[in-house]
Amino acid sequence: MLSRVANLIYWMARQLERAENTARIVDVNAQLVLDLQSRLAADDPKSWEPLVYVSGGEEKFFELYGKQVTERAVVEFMLFDRRNPSSVLSCVSQARENARCVRDLLAMEVWETLNTFYLKLKDDDFARYAQLGSAEYLNRVKAQIQLFYGTTESMLPRSHEWWFFQLGRYLERADSTSRILDVKYYMLLPDVAAVGTALDMIQWASVLRSCSAFDAFRRSRRGQLTLERVVDYLVRDEVFPRSIAYSVGAAGQALDQIVNGAEHLRGNRASVLAATLQDELRRTDMHEVIAEGLHEFLDALQVRMNDVHNAVQETFIDYPTDKAKILA
Amino acid sequence: MPDLFDAYEHCRFYDEMFAGPGHPRPHYQRLHARFARLDGMSSLLERQHTADQTFVNRGVTFTVYSDTAGTEKIFPFDLIPRIVPAHEWAHLEAGLTQRMEALNLFLADIYGSQRILKEGLIPAEMVNTSKHFRQEMVGMPVPRGLFVHINGTDLIRDESGAYRVLEDNLRTPSGVSYVLENRQVMKRVFPNLIRDYRVRPVETYTSDLLALLTRLAPAHVPEPTVVLLTPGVYNSAYFEHSFLARQMGIEIVEGSDLVVENDRVYMRRSDGLAPVHVIYRRLDDDFLDPTVFRKDSLLGVPGLVNAYRKGNVALCNPIGTGVADDKAMYYYVPRMIKFYLGQEPILHNVDTFLSSDDKDLRYILENLPKLVVKSVNEAGGYGMLVGPHSTQAQIEEFRGKILAHPRNFIAQPTIGLSRCPSVCENTIEGRHIDLRPYILNGETVKIMPGGLTRVALRKGSLVVNSSQGGGSKDTWVLAADDQAQSQTQSGPEKLIV
Repeated sequence: MLSRVANLIYWMARQLERAENTARIVDVNAQLVLDLQSRLAADDPKSWEPLVYVSGGEEKFFELYGKQVTERAVVEFMLFDRRNPSSVLSCVSQARENARCVRDLLAMEVWETLNTFYLKLKDDDFARYAQLGSAEYLNRVKAQIQLFYGTTESMLPRSHEWWFFQLGRYLERADSTSRILDVKYYMLLPDVAAVGTALDMIQWASVLRSCSAFDAFRRSRRGQLTLERVVDYLVRDEVFPRSIAYSVGAAGQALDQIVNGAEHLRGNRASVLAATLQDELRRTDMHEVIAEGLHEFLDALQVRMNDVHNAVQETFIDYPTDKAKILA
Repeated sequence: MPDLFDAYEHCRFYDEMFAGPGHPRPHYQRLHARFARLDGMSSLLERQHTADQTFVNRGVTFTVYSDTAGTEKIFPFDLIPRIVPAHEWAHLEAGLTQRMEALNLFLADIYGSQRILKEGLIPAEMVNTSKHFRQEMVGMPVPRGLFVHINGTDLIRDESGAYRVLEDNLRTPSGVSYVLENRQVMKRVFPNLIRDYRVRPVETYTSDLLALLTRLAPAHVPEPTVVLLTPGVYNSAYFEHSFLARQMGIEIVEGSDLVVENDRVYMRRSDGLAPVHVIYRRLDDDFLDPTVFRKDSLLGVPGLVNAYRKGNVALCNPIGTGVADDKAMYYYVPRMIKFYLGQEPILHNVDTFLSSDDKDLRYILENLPKLVVKSVNEAGGYGMLVGPHSTQAQIEEFRGKILAHPRNFIAQPTIGLSRCPSVCENTIEGRHIDLRPYILNGETVKIMPGGLTRVALRKGSLVVNSSQGGGSKDTWVLAADDQAQSQTQSGPEKLIV
């Protein structure tokens, strides 16, 4: 597959995964605010501000909306604002632009699904969101993205296009999950004294829900919701498809498939980095990590995932022509 | 119920559908009757809406980049098809085949011994001063002796209904994807009508094109790799590039995807550099290779021309075909037909005056308000003066340009292009049309039955280009009575059971 095209597909997957995670985070927060109604006014900056940090776009947000963190401002910023490159609209728009560039590879249904979604989404705004209600509106957004995944899954041949799609999707997901955890740890926790209280439980439940992990966590029979158990589940669970370990593993499998049959790419840096990371996650003791500082751990994890990303670019996309292998 | 065509206005132009008020031509009677059964305009408009929506959802659009929101527009599509009866098509096919053969021989000659210049049929300076003549290509052999592979010849019908050639497009003619998409949409909107009419299919175009491209590969390559080279996603024809690549199952590449090493062309793949043997380029000569042509081209591939010269890669169309679609060279095509084939042209040109000829120049300058003046190097309806629709100031501006560069212009009488009923807002009105068939020159000359019928949707306008407010119609070439049988038998797909 052409390097440029591989990159377009990789980013298309990343953008859509990011759009989906953003919608999830907004959704969970909107529900959380309902749970907290008695304690915090819905417009209390504390109820919406953490979201801005999740997306890593706090500077842009404060520049555009000032210090007044209202539900409306955050929802607009995260869902509909084209000036925010991580907003749902920006991501879907970018993904669609990429899809347009690689239309020749996508089945007509795959393109139509994304195109129709974008055309509807671009005319939406806060009024539409408020009119339908956050849950209903965001469910529709998530359903559209899931529809795209479903169509892609049933239409895309399992050759390079599929594996670059998977690679982008799971690297982005691993990153998103780490950010969700990080923000909860720093922002949602009012103070250390609240650990273990009812409020704390509600919040950890909300973190699980934003990863659609609540029911799965329960079924995994890990018992009561505690910080350590939730974190361990979302970081290290081997079978839950939104956990970091699972996502890194899936990205590694995609890399295996990409280099399958290409002897000269055996042992490439991206594959090695992904495999090492997965191995280390397997051996990590969450109890120790939390004792030493979860934030530092997650930070380091994000750097490692970024290293995998860079290695992917250097190995498959931006490699120097004069050192490249000439294929028969 | 009121007849949808009751209010249809007839005038002096040749009308494709009506011989006179209330009298549809024989090949339009069935359609006329079908439309009479529609529940008035609203039902027609509903279908028009369905069609438009289908184009939007399929993304058959071009983007207006002057607008930051990235507004996307569909190439307007009109529901009322242009119908070409079998005998008319047979005439066009013969004429276009003859023209393609002559143009190929002309290019072979111009880039070879230049006999036609030596014998004085075309002034040598006409060739030497043509912007698209490539001196570098003289004497260079081309695969299979084919100097041009694809031509989109624009045809019009004059007031008497006679078909005439308006121009040839031998560089990178576009629009064929619309022909194929239009047919898909019409099949959804009027399925029975298409079947009843026995409309000849256009769908084999892409496999014919792929067969042609594959044949151009260097002889020693058993399984050649064919790619389509696009200027990129921001090109207005990108939809078409991607459409054709998808239909043919070939890679669509940008200049930056290709590299040349040791005079061989490779594409940058995620696993390394893969050899490329045939390039269907949708990029003009000027941009192909910055080391040979325009130095500022970021779209091309450094070293490509050398690889081409060495015969390691084939280009479609070859380099230098543009010299034959220079609008001044068009004037000489009838002579080429006589010279190379010893035949009379089957399809006639539009009367043309060359401003490089003193006698013609005098006539042009005296008659500017009546004439259409075209710049010889421009396409897309740019650089053009339509005398009867222009102000005195515009006419004077062109007079100055013509006097300064006589070689750069030709003039033609304003031709009343034929009209075809078209859906306009809430009525059906006559709009001017032309026709661009697509002619492939491979093992034999092959012409897709039909082509792109472009329609000038602005009332009274004679300019059909999409950049100037034009739209398109489906073109229905009808099977001849005796063809119906042979067609179902000879279709290649139907033989494989």
